[in-house]
Amino acid sequence: MSFSITEPKKGTKWFAGVLVVGYALITIAPLLWIIATGFKSPTDSISYPPKVIFDPSLEGYVNLFTDRTRATDDMLEAKGEPQTWYEQIARDQGTIISGPSRYGERFLNSIIIGFGSTALCMVLGTAAAYAFSRFRVPLKDDLLFFILSTRMMPPIAVAIPIFLMFRNLGLNDTHLGMILLYTAVNLSLSVWLLKGFIDEIPVEYEEAALIDGYTRFQAFYKVVLPQAATGIASTAIFCLIFAWNEYAFAVLLTSGTAQTAPPFIPTIIGVGGKDWPAVAAGATIFLVPVMVFTILLRKHLLRGITFGAVRK
Amino acid sequence: MKNIPIEKIAAATPETVAQRIRGLSDRSIAWIFVAPTIFLLLAINIFPLIWTIWLSFTNSRVNRPNRDVEWVGLRNYERILSDSDIWNTMQATAHFLIWTIVLQVLIGFFLAFLINKKFRGNDLWTTIIVFPMMLSPAVVGNFWTFLYQPQIGLFNYVIAFFTGVDPASFSMIGDVNLAPWAIVIADTWMWTPFVMLICLAGLRSIPNSIYEAAECDRASKWRQFWTITIPMVLPFLMLAVLFRGIENFKMFDLVVQLTGGGPGNTTTLTSIDLKREAFEKWRTGYSSAYAVILFVTVFGLASIYVKALNKVKER
Amino acid sequence: MSDFINGLLRLRRGPWEMVASALIALGVVMLMQPFAITLYTYSFITTLTGTVMFIVVSHFPE
Repeated sequence: MSFSITEPKKGTKWFAGVLVVGYALITIAPLLWIIATGFKSPTDSISYPPKVIFDPSLEGYVNLFTDRTRATDDMLEAKGEPQTWYEQIARDQGTIISGPSRYGERFLNSIIIGFGSTALCMVLGTAAAYAFSRFRVPLKDDLLFFILSTRMMPPIAVAIPIFLMFRNLGLNDTHLGMILLYTAVNLSLSVWLLKGFIDEIPVEYEEAALIDGYTRFQAFYKVVLPQAATGIASTAIFCLIFAWNEYAFAVLLTSGTAQTAPPFIPTIIGVGGKDWPAVAAGATIFLVPVMVFTILLRKHLLRGITFGAVRK
Repeated sequence: MKNIPIEKIAAATPETVAQRIRGLSDRSIAWIFVAPTIFLLLAINIFPLIWTIWLSFTNSRVNRPNRDVEWVGLRNYERILSDSDIWNTMQATAHFLIWTIVLQVLIGFFLAFLINKKFRGNDLWTTIIVFPMMLSPAVVGNFWTFLYQPQIGLFNYVIAFFTGVDPASFSMIGDVNLAPWAIVIADTWMWTPFVMLICLAGLRSIPNSIYEAAECDRASKWRQFWTITIPMVLPFLMLAVLFRGIENFKMFDLVVQLTGGGPGNTTTLTSIDLKREAFEKWRTGYSSAYAVILFVTVFGLASIYVKALNKVKER
Repeated sequence: MSDFINGLLRLRRGPWEMVASALIALGVVMLMQPFAITLYTYSFITTLTGTVMFIVVSHFPE
């Protein structure tokens, strides 16, 4: 490290470090609390004072994935020995498992809709971004602004006509409808981000390829696409995270078959009272993948949140 | 890029297709590439928008399909713009908007300033701080209700620990005076990293040579801060403020899960109010006019935002 | 300041965009201020004017 007059002093660094670490600890405390609550027993989760040290239990996870009914001791006796470890856990609470819960389906819906819309969005977005980056498109600035402004729209305000349109087309509460909708919402982000990434690839590579006898299409997918791979991957992760997290459209336009996890998780209730460990378990399974993706994305985070305007 | 001989590519592509593609001008390729995107956006964004504008001049109610839809002109707009309940909703939104922006800018800028001191491990801690803003607001909002529980909630416990107040004596989301602050705290926790990241980019864009020159001129650190740092970061800060402003103006998911608009109407932000009008009372025409008002406001702010965006891009 | 007025008179993009932005900002403040309901009533038309104006003037030459 070179020493210059602008290099902060050692003491300053220490002081800054301590404050930032302090803030980071405060900021992840609620997240750690969610993860910890998922492994508590229902009684531990609502004890006072809040328990930091507790006996880990899988009750939350068992309750998350199963539907249970309360049973009397006689009924439990009549059932005989539990067959599996999760049945044992349910029995210990005085309940019998009556079937799997719908969390699995909802989670699967989130995966289908998330990946489906991301894939579609990347195909359309890469093509459009390439065209905006390389060709003279009439009214380019207006189109780009129009594309961006579609993302700024309040979802509830757009939801009224979309609800009516989907109802007429039979797309309400279907995977296809949600995939198309999320693709449309994400397109703005992917076009703007990818345009930034493609702008950075020197035009000379393609020109060389064109002179070598490649067609435009070949130059696009043999020269530009491989070079833009990191950009495309990080844009895809951004689109995926958005579709994964989306709540407003999901709660208004889906109710059963195509409902995703975010509208479902808050509705989880236990047998008699809110089952916080189950909610926490559901939230943990849902949130942790996003945290992993955030770590993967960290170099491109800033671009993603500013539509590609700020490039570090 | 792999070096593929052109003959091989030519052989791999059927000749007729290759010829046809080669024959396409750049202009037509541009259109083929852009058209699907524009078409999808027209179908899912613009067509519904036009429909909303049309509905806003009618008394349509989608839950009564048999009733005749009448043209009512500007009546919906007149009623909304003279309704003091909606005006109150706007003020609840304003309270949320102003305080979240103030807190996020202050904390976010300060954090960015500290991180820019380049202490060891700053990358790791930055990533940790960024986590909340990437998560699903609805799920997080739902979980904050648990943290806010009187007696058993972690938040109440921590406050009680430091101030000595009885943790069962106050309820952040049940109290009329505290609920507006409950949503401000949760939103600040979630979105401060956003402002921080943008400020950090601003700080890192300042070339060291400017500070070195100021140092040679014997300018004090304090003076350097106000005459170099702040003006140079300002465009970035503008960007962050506008974006958070737009996002929080239309805030729905986090708050609806956290308080559901209650108690009373103290945290009924405009989007929550609109959702009730449109999807619970089913006053489609009326709520369409409401939606158009929000549209135009957001659209206006978005055009300023794009201007700010281009300003930052030039740096 | 004279540059600004000059730009307005010669229909230049920069100063006109400033005027439109100011109008939009004014409309948003009027929409959410707690002082007078009359201001709230006329907020929408102000924002609308500003927005339409912005779209038009952004096509003026630099």
